Amino acid sequence: MDMEIEEIRGTFKPEIIPKETGGDIEDYEEALHVLMKFVGSMSSALEQVSGRGANAIVYQAGKRMGHDAAKMMEKTDDLEQALNEMGEVLGVEFYFEMWKPAGQEGYTIEKGNETVVKVLFMDCVVRQTLRRTGLPQKGPLCYLLYGYMVGAVEEVMSIKGKLDIDHVGPNACLKTLTIKWGGK
Amino acid sequence: MVEIEIDEDACVGCGSCVDDCPNDVYKMNEETWKTTVVNADDCMACLSCHEICPSQAMTHSNIHVAKRLYIDRKVNDVLEKII
Ligand code: SF4
Ligand code: SF4
Repeated sequence: MDMEIEEIRGTFKPEIIPKETGGDIEDYEEALHVLMKFVGSMSSALEQVSGRGANAIVYQAGKRMGHDAAKMMEKTDDLEQALNEMGEVLGVEFYFEMWKPAGQEGYTIEKGNETVVKVLFMDCVVRQTLRRTGLPQKGPLCYLLYGYMVGAVEEVMSIKGKLDIDHVGPNACLKTLTIKWGGK
Repeated sequence: MVEIEIDEDACVGCGSCVDDCPNDVYKMNEETWKTTVVNADDCMACLSCHEICPSQAMTHSNIHVAKRLYIDRKVNDVLEKII
């Protein structure tokens, strides 16, 4: 094997916050790609073994993550504010914006005891992982993000939410977030 | 605002973009049988049309270009040397 591995040798003492993480940007890139491959193959194996049940498992995992991540966020009953806060939690790796067709007045639509808003995910690590591993979009891995979003919105607004996929594309995916007023 | 340009010489008139676009941005021109942009305001830059068009006839400008960290730069370097 002619691959060169640069070994880091030094003294190691237990410490709470390491000053030196070891590795540079190329190591991070390498690690990201390895992770993408692992996660991608895990997702397709899960689908192979559990069929459609895979979506439910991953959705539940994402939902739990969303609830945990949003515990720190300020509670609100304003959907637009909740989405702004969630944008901060989801960060640049899941960059999204509210979306509406040009002819529609506002972003939100009231339907009885439900409020509906369209959310356009532009940057998404899940999409990147799927493309990295040649897997189709809308599979179990996408449910991680749906669960995450629903979990976070439920936590922040103390309501019941659901996210449906309208369309998936290589550069952006459109989803409909529905929240049901009247408690969990 | 998103701007969409169609290369009419490249368009083979298959209509795939018309069928695939979720926001009815395209319509076939009945005379030339080439696609035309009729509703650019509703384009959300998903770029599904780019993926489906067999002749890469469209260009979208002024859009958010999603990060493509999945592209392995080492593989790209190798490909560049070969092609
Ligand atoms: S980018 Fe998406 S929304 Fe825009 S024209 Fe293409 S398919 Fe339609
Ligand atoms: S998919 Fe491409 S080739 Fe087919 S009609 Fe649309 S622009 Fe023309």
